[in-house]
Amino acid sequence: MTLSPLARRQWQRFKSIKRGYYSAWVLVALVLLSCGAELLVNNRALVVSYDGRWYFPTYGAFVPGTAFGLGYDYETNYRDLAKQLAADASKGWVLMPPVPYDAFENDLHDSAFPPYPPSLESRHFLGTDTTGRDVLARLVYGFRIAFAFSLVLLACNYLIGIAVGCAMGFWGGAFDLFFQRLIEVWSIVPSLYVIMIVASIMVPTFWTLTLVMVIFGWMSMTWYMRTATYKEKTRDYVMAARALGATNGRIIARHILPNTVSVIVTFMPFAIAGGITSLTALDYLGFGLPPPTPSWGDLLSQGTDNLDHPWIVTSVVGAMVVVLLTVTYIGEAIREAFDPKRFTFYE
Amino acid sequence: MRVQRGRFVTSYFLRRLLLIVPTFLGVSLLVFALTRLVPGGPIERMLNEAAMAAQPGVHVVNAGGRGGSTLSKQDLAQLEAYYGFDKPIVVSYADWLSKVVRLDLGNSTRYSEPVWDIIKSRFPISIFYGIATLILTYGVCIPLGIVKAIRHKTVFDNVTSLVIFFGYAIPGYVVGIALLTAFASKWHVFPLGGFVSDDFDDLSPHERVKDVLVHAVLPVLSYVAGAFALMTLMMKNSLMDNLAADYVRTAIAKGLTFRRAVFRHALRNSLIPIATSFGNNISLLVGGSFLIEKIFDIDGFGLLGFESLVERDYPVVLGIVVISSLLFMAGNILSDLCVALVDPRVKFGSGEGSA
Repeated sequence: MTLSPLARRQWQRFKSIKRGYYSAWVLVALVLLSCGAELLVNNRALVVSYDGRWYFPTYGAFVPGTAFGLGYDYETNYRDLAKQLAADASKGWVLMPPVPYDAFENDLHDSAFPPYPPSLESRHFLGTDTTGRDVLARLVYGFRIAFAFSLVLLACNYLIGIAVGCAMGFWGGAFDLFFQRLIEVWSIVPSLYVIMIVASIMVPTFWTLTLVMVIFGWMSMTWYMRTATYKEKTRDYVMAARALGATNGRIIARHILPNTVSVIVTFMPFAIAGGITSLTALDYLGFGLPPPTPSWGDLLSQGTDNLDHPWIVTSVVGAMVVVLLTVTYIGEAIREAFDPKRFTFYE
Repeated sequence: MRVQRGRFVTSYFLRRLLLIVPTFLGVSLLVFALTRLVPGGPIERMLNEAAMAAQPGVHVVNAGGRGGSTLSKQDLAQLEAYYGFDKPIVVSYADWLSKVVRLDLGNSTRYSEPVWDIIKSRFPISIFYGIATLILTYGVCIPLGIVKAIRHKTVFDNVTSLVIFFGYAIPGYVVGIALLTAFASKWHVFPLGGFVSDDFDDLSPHERVKDVLVHAVLPVLSYVAGAFALMTLMMKNSLMDNLAADYVRTAIAKGLTFRRAVFRHALRNSLIPIATSFGNNISLLVGGSFLIEKIFDIDGFGLLGFESLVERDYPVVLGIVVISSLLFMAGNILSDLCVALVDPRVKFGSGEGSA
């Protein structure tokens, strides 16, 4: 695929905005790392060498304890195994991930009640939550879920928004008027509250929550696309294409959509940030994805209920600040790259 | 021209007002239907509570309406009739609506008090925070935006941009939680939440004012954090657009001072985008925010909405939906009015006007 000269210039401009460009790399790195989170944050070992055999338990079915000469046939506790084999190195060895906990596991001690503070020794680098689950593990897996959720939400909202908005701007008339009124009425619905009502009626899953949020959130993109299409439609090149005999479908797909791409791309980072923020807010209020799904909102609400254990709140707030700032830096850079308008100003 | 414009605007607002009726019917029917689909409605909640009172510590699971061993069938039917659950959805919606028109929102299932009274009692608190936020937001944003536009790309602009950017990226509720953690929990500068202290009634009038203000600092800061970034940027960008416009250049070329060109010519036009969002403040003013009221445990409208949803107190939930959508519609109309006041070009009524 070759980029058009315009797109190349926009890419150059984006690259020249260092803040946004480096933020994009940071975000890509975060997302890639979270995709491979099982290798970094997990209670399953990366590699076990036992009796001359090699095991890679990270992915796939669990390996029962009996495989390592332990007295149980449920899943092996690799941290215990690691300790045992460290004492008796003749049998083999275990390589654990950097954070040897997963997001669902309660790591409880007899000596004290959770939450436990951060400790390098126990490898709870950010401490545990109120039920002894590792905060870092829940942050990482929570980020993965929230980001995936925002992406899916974005795709759905954009699909509907672009299709309906384009049609409204292109055909105008009664169709446009009907959807204008519909969107106007639909925007009055206090959406956050109604989503909460729906979530209180049926416990939402990832997909039902997406569906509900799309139902109440598809309008804003429609509005922008309508205006953009409306503007493009009156341009000369559209009339030229029509004079050459292009069909409506071709005009929209080949001429109007590529010219509205700046609208589509510019709002993307902000839509992602919005998705993460609203999922976290819903989880915080207890109307998001049901427990024990790892989520930032759940950690936030535990943290605000236990302010004397500040590591929970600070971890989540820190993570949110980092992620939202990077996403917004990228968004600003994209906006600047796509915006040819330069302000004049008086000295 | 002037007469004609007046006619346009009047007919536009008449149409807007008439549109409220179908909108309101649609929204309320949607939410009403939703609350009727609930498997664990108020009656089951009561049954659960009764069962839990009978067997402390035993958690009763909602099993599709089979939790009713503690109540006889007759009692159940009576209860259902009392709350209108025995009738088909359309009939009970019509009943509910005919009461709403007479300003009767029914009784709360949790407090057994009229819903309107409960909601009304929460208004003053939310309005207090709303007004404080409003004054601070506009009082900071408009001057700051003006200065930033005039001093574009200076040190002052860059430094304030950092702060604004932060406020832009981080939602208000996260700011609220951060403030609460730092200033209330760690350093004990401000109280942990609530509207007033527990010993409020024993305080002297002077101390009372101080008490309310001390409690208000963190929540108001979080509200402002959520709104001021966007508003300042809007003000700055629109003023810069206008400063670059030909008519300002003409004014300066004619010998007007820069100050006069800004304040007499550019500023009024730059206020138009600010005016378009002015009406949204009504919702904030009265409605508050679920999140911030929950974080700071402020007994306002938002927290009431949240709690009644948790408690499945559907008459209150419906009442909140009704009032917040009415407020939102009123806000939209107010925004349009503001735009019509500021922008002499506005001619409502044609389809293009809303593009």
